[in-house]
Amino acid sequence: MQQSPEPFWVELLSRHGEVLERHRVERGDVRIGRAYDNDIIIDDPYVGARHLRVTRDANGVLVAEDLGSANGLFAGESMRSTARVELRGEGTIRIGATRLRIREASHAVPPERRFEPRGWGWPVVAALAIAIMALEVVSTWLGQTTEPKLADYASPVFMLCLALFVWTAVWSILSRIFAGRARFRRNLLVGLAGLLVLSVLFELTDYGAFALSRRELTAYRYVGLWLAIGLFAFLHLRMISLSHLRLKAGAVAAAALAVIAMQTLSNAKSHTVMDRQNFVQQLKPPSLRLVKAESEPTFFAAAADLKASLDRARTQQPDSEDTDFGDD
Amino acid sequence: MNYGVLVAVLALQILASADGAYAADSSVANRAPSGAADTVYEVARLRLLQIRTLLVSTGRQTSLGSAFRVSADGLAITNYHVISQFALEPATYRLEYAAPDGQRGKLKLLGFDVANDVALVQVDGAGQPYFEFDRKALQDGTPKGERLYSMGNPLDIGFTIVEGTYNGRVARSYNERVHFSGAINPGMSGGPAVSSAGRVVGVNVAKRWGGELISFLVPARFAAELVEKRRTPVELSATAVRAELGRQLLAWQEHFYGVLAEEELPSRALGPYLAPDSPARWFTCWARTNEEQIPRPRATLYTTLCNTETSLFISNDLSTGEVRVSHSYAKSVDLNAVQFAAFVSSQFRPAWFGWNRKRHTRTQCHEAFVAAKPPATPPLRAVWCARAYRDFSDLYDVSLLAVTQDRPKEALVSRLTMHGVSYANAMRFGERFLQEIRVAAEP
Repeated sequence: MQQSPEPFWVELLSRHGEVLERHRVERGDVRIGRAYDNDIIIDDPYVGARHLRVTRDANGVLVAEDLGSANGLFAGESMRSTARVELRGEGTIRIGATRLRIREASHAVPPERRFEPRGWGWPVVAALAIAIMALEVVSTWLGQTTEPKLADYASPVFMLCLALFVWTAVWSILSRIFAGRARFRRNLLVGLAGLLVLSVLFELTDYGAFALSRRELTAYRYVGLWLAIGLFAFLHLRMISLSHLRLKAGAVAAAALAVIAMQTLSNAKSHTVMDRQNFVQQLKPPSLRLVKAESEPTFFAAAADLKASLDRARTQQPDSEDTDFGDD
Repeated sequence: MNYGVLVAVLALQILASADGAYAADSSVANRAPSGAADTVYEVARLRLLQIRTLLVSTGRQTSLGSAFRVSADGLAITNYHVISQFALEPATYRLEYAAPDGQRGKLKLLGFDVANDVALVQVDGAGQPYFEFDRKALQDGTPKGERLYSMGNPLDIGFTIVEGTYNGRVARSYNERVHFSGAINPGMSGGPAVSSAGRVVGVNVAKRWGGELISFLVPARFAAELVEKRRTPVELSATAVRAELGRQLLAWQEHFYGVLAEEELPSRALGPYLAPDSPARWFTCWARTNEEQIPRPRATLYTTLCNTETSLFISNDLSTGEVRVSHSYAKSVDLNAVQFAAFVSSQFRPAWFGWNRKRHTRTQCHEAFVAAKPPATPPLRAVWCARAYRDFSDLYDVSLLAVTQDRPKEALVSRLTMHGVSYANAMRFGERFLQEIRVAAEP
């Protein structure tokens, strides 16, 4: 015979698993449906007037039983309706468009979360922001060959701040919607880190192209930049929730590759009407050279080698000639 | 970069806006001809032709020029540029002539001289009167100041005679041209300029925009040579035209760079550097500086630019043959080394003509740091860029760029641009050019 039945909880969940309502059930039996003679009323047009009963079976296990509804009862994410589901606390059930979770009062909860350490707080954010803005200002200053004007420095810094704010705000809103918490500071931190990586990548390729005499570093820099943007978008997604990480990584990678492909196509298109200056145009101080200087005969030997390749290109049709997909 | 002066070839085309030229033209046309012109024109009238390039598909004209008969059996001389559309694309264009008496007919292309912009055509209708070449002119003996009468059909308003003066060979020009002080207008290209005896001294070819009555003739000698060479009336096919163009351009540049190889490259001092200057008198040079600019420039820049004005017309979308030599010496006033490098970057560009996918392959470059050769040669960053002509084998446009790398706040940027050059000649002149970039000996 049953002992005095333990109370349990019926929880109505949102699509994303947030609890919308909780009902405590003291006795071992509860009726759920749209009609007013139920114990728990659900305003969902897809739910039957008397849809569901939750009770305990002979062993004291909670079970949900369909009371003959048109749309049926579903266990978890299953697509097949069933007449009866045993409830073990973790899983959910669905009736109509409503998800429910039923838990014993004795259900164990995870230990309390400690407050996050203060190390990654606002001082770090401020330091990162200052580093990025300083990099931007120095970079503008080093490219300044005309009369210095405040606007030359203020407007890129302002644009950068604006872009960063918009980026962070969008991720915070997404985070608020899907995870219930905006986590503005953490999103800002990821955004700042991303911006720092992009700035450094940009400057490094700029100087590297000259120092190593490799035009490819700047011409194909857009690939690196988009991959970095993808990586940081993934970090934002990861912060929203740790679920489906592979799916998220795949989606971000696919999006990044799609953008890279688009830019490659548009580069190729612009090269059909314009020739390109395919050499490193941005000079840097001579002392930054890293590669060995060629002797003059070596230089002209390499120049002579271009002839064969040009003669090959001459025999091709203008439409089918190899295109360089780099970015000017 | 407005150093150059525009020399326009004078085939009348759709694209040439007639409005501006028209006013100037009518004032000349309304002027009563002198007695001599009267007689000359009467004699010449039946020997003149108008040449129309028509679109095969619609039969409408796309370009107009003039021509003149030079033999009893129907040979006539015009400019190469008048018939160039037909010569290169005979499937799209056809040629037609119109005589002053209204007679029209087809014509065949027998030969051309692209460097001197003359072409030989065959019109039907034998037994017509024709022009003879002026014997003095063939020997370059026409005295400066002699009256000449240039004829043609300007702007398609009817056959016209224009009185002007022979002003000798154009100085500082590699390609021989006669300077004619008279109004040659679009459409008169290919018409004759004759002496008062009615003998051909030159062929109308171009005028200078922005000048008054400054026109150019091809010396009669080149037309006469073309007539001599091509006595057999064999029409040129499109493939033959391209092959012949390629052959002539190759020969032209071979001679040009041969002459250049024998000239010395004088050194010009630019700051602490010595730069190879224009080798021959037919380079026209210009200079400029940013010194007087306001706000005060943060680095001073002195630029010299020399070009040869040997541009050869191949087609409406292709000219070739020009050589440019330019140097920019930059010195920082208050820029640091990185800023100065950015400043110099703006000069680090090749100076060549537009790229045309149909005519050129893509540009390919080799770039490198080139080591110093003590004591005189500074370390350089050098770029060699080249593109090939699709229609002509062994002809390329080549640009050599070099910037000195021995000082953080001073630099010399040197550019050499060669249009329509064989690879061997480009290499030869390029190497010589680069070796002549030097550091002046310490005083």
